[in-house]
Amino acid sequence: MSLRQFWIQTQDLTIASMKSRYRKTWAGFIWVVLNPLLMFGVQALVFRKFLRIDMPDYLLFLLGGLLPWIFFTTTIQMGTPVFVTQAQLLRSFKVNPWVILGAQVMDGFINFVASFVLILLPFYLFYDRSPLLLALLPLALAPLLIGTLSITVTLSILNVFHRDINFVTGFVFSLLFFLTPIFYPREFIPPGYAWVAALNPILYFIEPFRLVIHTGSLEEFLPALLKSAGVAVVFTALGFLVWKRKQNDFYLKL
Amino acid sequence: MTSTSSSEVLLRVNDLRVYFELDHYHQRDLRDVFVSAVTKPLSFFFQREELYFVLRGVSFSVERGMRIGVLGVNGSGKTTLCRCIAGMMIPQHGTIESSAEVRAIFDTGTGIMPELTGRENALLLARLFFPTIRDVRPIVEEAAEFSELGHFIDVPFKKYSKGMQSRLLLSLISAVPTDILILDEVLDGADVFFQKKLAQRMRSFIERAGATIFVSHSPEQIRQVCNKVMVLNQGKITYFGDVEPGIAAYLSLKAPAHAGP
Repeated sequence: MSLRQFWIQTQDLTIASMKSRYRKTWAGFIWVVLNPLLMFGVQALVFRKFLRIDMPDYLLFLLGGLLPWIFFTTTIQMGTPVFVTQAQLLRSFKVNPWVILGAQVMDGFINFVASFVLILLPFYLFYDRSPLLLALLPLALAPLLIGTLSITVTLSILNVFHRDINFVTGFVFSLLFFLTPIFYPREFIPPGYAWVAALNPILYFIEPFRLVIHTGSLEEFLPALLKSAGVAVVFTALGFLVWKRKQNDFYLKL
Repeated sequence: MTSTSSSEVLLRVNDLRVYFELDHYHQRDLRDVFVSAVTKPLSFFFQREELYFVLRGVSFSVERGMRIGVLGVNGSGKTTLCRCIAGMMIPQHGTIESSAEVRAIFDTGTGIMPELTGRENALLLARLFFPTIRDVRPIVEEAAEFSELGHFIDVPFKKYSKGMQSRLLLSLISAVPTDILILDEVLDGADVFFQKKLAQRMRSFIERAGATIFVSHSPEQIRQVCNKVMVLNQGKITYFGDVEPGIAAYLSLKAPAHAGP
């Protein structure tokens, strides 16, 4: 299958999946924006007002970390069980499994773009940032998207073999939320614990995005982008290896 | 691929062997893996898994115009063989030589989006089945007409009976000629009249091009559709040839299991 055919099939499946979901309830689309908005509102209240985290443009800082975090975690949690929920389809026809997974990740990405435009962009403009910096966003989003896709690939294959992967992933995310500098800046981590952030792959995907949105520092952006791309390549290789190793047993276990 | 006017070989399977680790037949949660790693660390890390061979050296060729009926008791390797030919599984040993386009269907009781109508599901499936065709709508319209579903084509797929699902999917997959069409025990959901209609359609498009690999437990269906029979037993081909002797070979396989004391 050519890349173009793969892309067309992924698009078709994404549109059909959204059509199917919103035919059931239009409130679903409101939820897509309401969910991050509520999370942002509650966290802004707790961390800014109750815990009094003090830093310039905190609300923009928080949104710049929270939106990619929500995209990363919800896409992985929605994508991990996708082969098991679509097992009958995969067993029934010669359908490229990656089209199904690609459509799921695309769905999550569209939600991310919607919440970016409807929530983050107004804040960004309110804080009087240069719209020119936004031109760097596609660069910052590429490793985030590829990294999320690769990790979802690995976990969705493993979920076919161990059906509780998604529960474990959810638990790990709830721990990582506190260990990832999303609602606090990285500088808050004492030097002795710097390794906690260095070992956290999600941080590498979030940082270029946040540098564009909040810091606006071009000197920091390029090294962060390179690191982010490097981590995305490692996870892509991992996803590829896991698929090669498990391909045969995949259909047996579905 | 060799090509002659009378017997063009579409597919050549050489010494195919597929095996699985026996452990893989058991579903294990991560929690179970953790428990066995802690309670039995030695056997967990050092015990080699037993291998179960599903295919043990299968070789044959498919020529244009062949309608091969594959017979065999459950677990004889029929579906695994079809999945290897369809490119869904990679054999650990042996080769499959082919440049033919293969289309395969293993179950007819499934749509992609149950909430969407039969027509919308068919459009989506047509995109997946026929990626090289730009406009699939005429194919879907033809398949909808052939399936005789009438106004049910615009009813949500989840409301379909098993027979209706089967009609739509079989009409769709057989709507465009392909080099090799694989049907794995998929006629059982359709009624006897539709089975006959579909068998006729398959014969007509096999005459135009291609070959069919047809898996079934029903000798009657095999007689209707096929002009060759392959009998698989315990992962090996025990017969490959004409239909009636093939059916007899299959029934003789089954005989001991049915013989009571």
